[in-house]
Amino acid sequence: MGDFSSALFALLIFPGFGFLCACALAFQWIDRWVTARLQGRIGPPWFQPLADFVKLMAKEDVLPIGAHEQACAALPMVSLAAVLTAALYVPVGGLATSAFEGDLIVVLFLLSIPALAYFLAGWLSVSVFSVVGGSRALLQYFAYEVPFLMAFAGPAMLSGSWSISRIATQQSQAVGMVLVQPVGFLLAFVGLIGKLKRSPFDIPKAKSEIGAGPLTEFSGRKLALWHLSLHIKTVVGIFLLVDVFLSGSFTGLAVPTALAFGVKVLFTLLALSVAGVLYARLRIDQLASLGWKVLAPLALAQMLAVIWIGAG
Amino acid sequence: MSRITIPIGPQHPALKEPLSFLLTVEGERIVESALRIGYVHRGLERIFQNRSYVQNVHVVERICGICSHAHTTTYCQGVEALLGLHIPPRALYLRTLLCELERIHSHLLWLGVLAEHVGFTTIFMYAWRDREIVLDIMEKLSGGRVAHAVNVIGGVRIDVDQEQVRLILARLDELERQIESFLGVIQHERTFRARTRAVGYLSIEQVRSHCVVGPVARASGVDIDLRRDAPYAAYGQLDFRVITAEEGDVWARTMVRALETIESVCMCRQLLAGLPDGPLAVRAPRRVPPSEAVSRCEAPRGELIYYIRSDGSDRPARVKVRTPTLTTLATLPDQLRGVNTADVPTVLSGVDLCIACADR
Repeated sequence: MGDFSSALFALLIFPGFGFLCACALAFQWIDRWVTARLQGRIGPPWFQPLADFVKLMAKEDVLPIGAHEQACAALPMVSLAAVLTAALYVPVGGLATSAFEGDLIVVLFLLSIPALAYFLAGWLSVSVFSVVGGSRALLQYFAYEVPFLMAFAGPAMLSGSWSISRIATQQSQAVGMVLVQPVGFLLAFVGLIGKLKRSPFDIPKAKSEIGAGPLTEFSGRKLALWHLSLHIKTVVGIFLLVDVFLSGSFTGLAVPTALAFGVKVLFTLLALSVAGVLYARLRIDQLASLGWKVLAPLALAQMLAVIWIGAG
Repeated sequence: MSRITIPIGPQHPALKEPLSFLLTVEGERIVESALRIGYVHRGLERIFQNRSYVQNVHVVERICGICSHAHTTTYCQGVEALLGLHIPPRALYLRTLLCELERIHSHLLWLGVLAEHVGFTTIFMYAWRDREIVLDIMEKLSGGRVAHAVNVIGGVRIDVDQEQVRLILARLDELERQIESFLGVIQHERTFRARTRAVGYLSIEQVRSHCVVGPVARASGVDIDLRRDAPYAAYGQLDFRVITAEEGDVWARTMVRALETIESVCMCRQLLAGLPDGPLAVRAPRRVPPSEAVSRCEAPRGELIYYIRSDGSDRPARVKVRTPTLTTLATLPDQLRGVNTADVPTVLSGVDLCIACADR
């Protein structure tokens, strides 16, 4: 009984659903507030993301005639389920709900399901904006995903394990992966921006071009769930980056693990906000050539370097 | 590859004013575009004929929400020419001052819109924040941020004292520093260049054949500017450069407008330093003798033309307005052909359309 209730606690409260939702709202607020301050604006109050969510949940839920209703209702839930499942294997402050050898691959796979659901949402909701947005989302997926995956292969090969928890623990004995593989960290960071469709890679939802992209026709509860799943994806993505490259909650100093982890997460989040403020949005063809001409060769070079170090 | 038709407008996030495009696209490339205008036609030219010359100053100011002062300046100049009035120099200087402040305001507003369209929200926020400086100055001068009601037939209705001049000069310094920082971003930021270089290209021949005016023409290397070519108001006494560029794309238009803004700040300083003493307006008769006049101004978007015919009564027989936007609208199908759909907002905002002006 004790096992069961603690498992339930881990799944629903910490580090599961409740904690992730709280983080998603908090991160969203921090991001919006920092962006606003950097842009000379005041920014929203702390409860704004929660208020937005509640308001969307209460709103009327309509879809255009011809849209695939069941699929459009299922897709945000699929997306949310995928990111929540991925979160089980990503340690938070050294605590993971579950771990096994090879969970890094599973997590990376689960994190790409929302991208496919996003594309399908655009394709099935029959608006020209969402169709164009959906095809852009798919093109973007091919541009960032390969360098992103290759960037994560480096730390895994170096620590000889494909388990996120093991990679994070390993760095407590050695040094953080970011020092050994700065290029890999940078690639993973850029890939994460692409994965989260954040500025300057917010191409599939460029509002001055195609409205809200694939989500143009979504409203009410479905849109609220989409937003929640994309924001939880941000949280999981940042946790993953911190665990794999910034040695998780280990610092080598006498500070509490939760604090160490929190500081690193905050640093990554701020870096994401700053990157979003600094640049103009790229065009999809420019992102594709960046992905394949710059990021992918760099990722390959990083992998070869890791293999060479590992052999030597 | 299958063709789909994407409607842009009359309501669309990329458009600040109603205008409609039907774009036929293959993948992300545009093969054809059809333009439709007239959504904000308000029948203003007819309204002019039913109002007296004095009332019309008020109506003319409401043609446009951005270059309202350029419209009243052109209209008043035309009526003053019909009446044969000599406007006091102080009034001309103040008119010119407002013209240049309005140009700064218009160009900064435009920079913000363009930045938003290329997904550069930061510059959008900064440009509109710093535009507040010039709006504050105009509010201090005239009491209005957008509609200033500064011009009257025969002169102006506002005056400045030394205290105000000092305040304005201080704020202009602040503004110039900000614009220079924008200029650095426009020139060097690689993502911004990537989005605006070689987009919306117009050759010098295309500009000439469509009679394009203003910053769009100057960015394609056509050296025209009424302020220098046919000086009106106090422009004859000012020392300034006409900014041109050779590239002919949206980036060149951005550079031209940013540099023009700095040039305008310098002109404002000259105007405030050399402000002559004297009366602000001369008395104008209500009835205008039968005649006709053409009045021209360099509005922020280019040459603005008013044709006014009088029939001896206190109402104009005809007022015809030709706005600079009309000339650039005709080039849009050319500019959009073969362009990526992602660049449509960039092309549309690059030419700085004012639909309210064009439709009237």
